[in-house]
Amino acid sequence: MNLETLGFLGLAVVALATAVLALLVRELVHTILWVAVFFVDLAAIYFLLEASFLGVLQLGVYAGAVTILLLFGVMVTRKRIFSKEAATGIGPVPLGLALVVVILLFGALPEIPSTATPVRSYAATDLSLTLFGPDGPWLLLLGLTMMSALAGAIYLVREGRE
Amino acid sequence: MTAIPPDLVLGLSSALLGVGLFGILTRRNFILLLIAIEIAMNAAILNFVYFAAFNGTGAGLSGQAAAVVIIGLAATEVAVGLAIVLALNRLKGSINVAEAATLRN
Repeated sequence: MNLETLGFLGLAVVALATAVLALLVRELVHTILWVAVFFVDLAAIYFLLEASFLGVLQLGVYAGAVTILLLFGVMVTRKRIFSKEAATGIGPVPLGLALVVVILLFGALPEIPSTATPVRSYAATDLSLTLFGPDGPWLLLLGLTMMSALAGAIYLVREGRE
Repeated sequence: MTAIPPDLVLGLSSALLGVGLFGILTRRNFILLLIAIEIAMNAAILNFVYFAAFNGTGAGLSGQAAAVVIIGLAATEVAVGLAIVLALNRLKGSINVAEAATLRN
């Protein structure tokens, strides 16, 4: 087992632990702190997988913007920011359903050849050439979706709507 | 050049999908629901990033381009979700999704 695999294993354990903690902690602000750690941890995984541009994007968009947006949502919707959530129990049916999905996916893992294949790194310029070349329609579609989502968000929160 | 076996990455993303699915099914707070959806989406992005850099597929950078598009879509989804949170809070006085049943009743 090489050094990268060990590093990935460590990061994977941290990612799983923070994801579970984020959903089980009862104070919403602590949830957002744990989810910020989760996003930074995934960015580290992307750097490990030689996708440095996506790592930076993950840090900027997820660890930066999404975390702040979620904190803003908590700030404006409750009187006392550090108040605890009412305990919603862990229902046996949702837990069972999630476990069944995970077991099915894990059951498919042996189908994949598990030889460690070298991961190649790409320069950010190559990615931009792809994004504005062959994969340009996807970028256009993303822009259109974001624009309509912006219009929809403004419509939802505008004043005088009852 | 790194060499991380694919079953580790796929195992991590499957487990993250399971955690996200569990959160989507059990949490009643709208913001926690958004966080659970984000966790499940990050599992998908992890798969795209890993297989983008997989040697020998020949279509390496399309995977990273797809990851960029998904990250943008996820950010958009959080923005619209928070707009819904604000509207729900104004209408009902709480962000519990169990109370947002006006269409059902």
